[in-house]
Amino acid sequence: MSETCKVAVERRGDVALLWTDGYINNQGGEEIAREAYAQIGNGARGLVMNLEKTKIVNSIGISILIEVLEKVMDRKGVLAFCNLTPTIDKTFRIMGLAQYASIYANEEEALKAVSVQLASP
Amino acid sequence: MTSRASAAPPSRGFWKTAAALLHEDTRSPLTARLAAAATHLSGASRCAIFLRDKESWVRADPGGDDWAPRLPDPAARAAVRAEGALWIPLESEGEVHGFLGLEGVDETEPELGRSLGLLLGALLGANRFSRMVKDAGFELKTRLLELESLYDLGLSLAGQLDLPSLADEVLFRSISLTDARRGTLVLFQESGEVLLERNIGGEILPTEALATWRLPEGEAVINNAAATAPTAGVRSATCEKCLAIGISVSGRRLGVLAVADKESRDGSVIDFTATDARLLSLFANQAAAAIETARLHREAIEKERLDRELELAAAIQRELLPHTLPIVAGVEVAAASVPTRQVGGDYYDFFPLSRGRLGFLIADVSGKGVPAALLVSTVHAAVHLQIDLSETITDLVSRIDRHLQRYAAARKFLTLFFGLIEPDTGLLRYVSAGHNPALLLRRFGGIERLDSTGVPVGILPNAVWTERTVAMEPGDLVCLYTDGVTEAVNEREEEFGMERLTRILGGASAMSAEQVCMEALAQVAEFARGMPQYDDQTMLVVRRT
Repeated sequence: MSETCKVAVERRGDVALLWTDGYINNQGGEEIAREAYAQIGNGARGLVMNLEKTKIVNSIGISILIEVLEKVMDRKGVLAFCNLTPTIDKTFRIMGLAQYASIYANEEEALKAVSVQLASP
Repeated sequence: MTSRASAAPPSRGFWKTAAALLHEDTRSPLTARLAAAATHLSGASRCAIFLRDKESWVRADPGGDDWAPRLPDPAARAAVRAEGALWIPLESEGEVHGFLGLEGVDETEPELGRSLGLLLGALLGANRFSRMVKDAGFELKTRLLELESLYDLGLSLAGQLDLPSLADEVLFRSISLTDARRGTLVLFQESGEVLLERNIGGEILPTEALATWRLPEGEAVINNAAATAPTAGVRSATCEKCLAIGISVSGRRLGVLAVADKESRDGSVIDFTATDARLLSLFANQAAAAIETARLHREAIEKERLDRELELAAAIQRELLPHTLPIVAGVEVAAASVPTRQVGGDYYDFFPLSRGRLGFLIADVSGKGVPAALLVSTVHAAVHLQIDLSETITDLVSRIDRHLQRYAAARKFLTLFFGLIEPDTGLLRYVSAGHNPALLLRRFGGIERLDSTGVPVGILPNAVWTERTVAMEPGDLVCLYTDGVTEAVNEREEEFGMERLTRILGGASAMSAEQVCMEALAQVAEFARGMPQYDDQTMLVVRRT
């Protein structure tokens, strides 16, 4: 895990895949939000965040992820997370992120589910 | 500029227009929508909205033009005209949430200003209330997460016996739930040396400073001035605010858990709170219990490994001792060995040779457990390989010595006594390589010591041993033993000693070799009375019949 959070992005049609590496705190959350907003601005309707290399998320990071989620929902888009540690999975469920964003075991499942949701009327 | 014809309250159309404007683009920030609606409904040429930000008032609408008015009077509770604009307090439930500045509106329309003030004030109040509810919900969920984390950590640590994973689990949760930017967990060995160190987000203190950091136990120390003042006597050069606690069990210092630089949503570093301190203290307590459990588990595994090793060593040793005693005309032999729990590495053997002769050996190798058993195995192999190739006993001992120098691990040695008896003549030749004096019991009384004739085997390169000869009359008996016999201790820490052994032998003239052996070992056991012994007790007796 990196000292500071890094975010890598790949665009697959109208879905953007974001890989995080490191602590999702204020700095990490802002980095994710910056990349996510850039993708939304460029027409992405679906976001899949792969948190395989993230072991820690704090409440600031979560509040930023909620802001990203609200932005995605405003635009009738879809946000999904995958490869969460059990601790982060539970954190997202308690903090309400999982109420509007889906959580999947792996990237393949997440991409498939987001594509289906975006295709449905 | 549009002016209105009368001062009557705004019509239903006004409210409908307001509602439509406010819901037109819900993705825009609320203040932008309020400014757009106020401009449209009032017909103002320009509009500004000021909101309270902590102790000051700041402009909150998007602006976008070159109009940069100052808020004239934050204490005003009625519309005032200043800076070329009409300033309307935005109020609801008796609280002023902001001010609306409208440039270019007609002074003759007080109802319009009052209505806009009420509308925007109510919306700002509702928005503020909604934010408060949302923040409270988030806060509530955060508290729930803390409780769940404590519960989960307890469960997780109860089943976690791997120290590095355990340390990560504690540190990750501590950093996460205190919103710290960095954290350190270090565990110490009983000697005080660092056993394990974990840093997230950069170190708070160098390792050597962590090792000497004497933190209070049970309650975390908050230092919100860590940039300028030391925390529990130690100054960190890397953090602004610090929260730290010592991890201990029953007063024994196990480690240190520290987090630093609690962050806020705007990216600044804020003070750690009493709630953070309580949380870290609870984590440290749970960690201490789990670390202690892991340590006890490690010790249990180590004990189990040692027990298995000892069983193996005992099995090797049992296998190497003769399963039956030789029957040789003119001599009567007996031998027995009482192993200790540690497996001491005693060895004895008999070698029926040509012309009716009998070779016999007793040896005591250095060390305990598997290493000693393996050395016995090496000696066993060396004796059996070299005995037919050796011309004399000294030659045999020298060959065993060379074999050990070549194949045994460094600093391994043994004492041995090798005797060769010719039953026909009663001649006993022997070499004692640093071994305890053998005792020769004459048939008609009297005990002679057969002392060492050289250094232990494997201890010096090119060592030389001397062969000695003694005549054994029919009925004479030679008794060989290892130091486990004479050094057996009782509960008063007294040794069994040569004197007691000699006394037993003194009364053994009429006993068989086996009876002598059994009687001596039985008396040693009686003397020790169940006290755990450090060394194997082995005895070998040969009588000329």
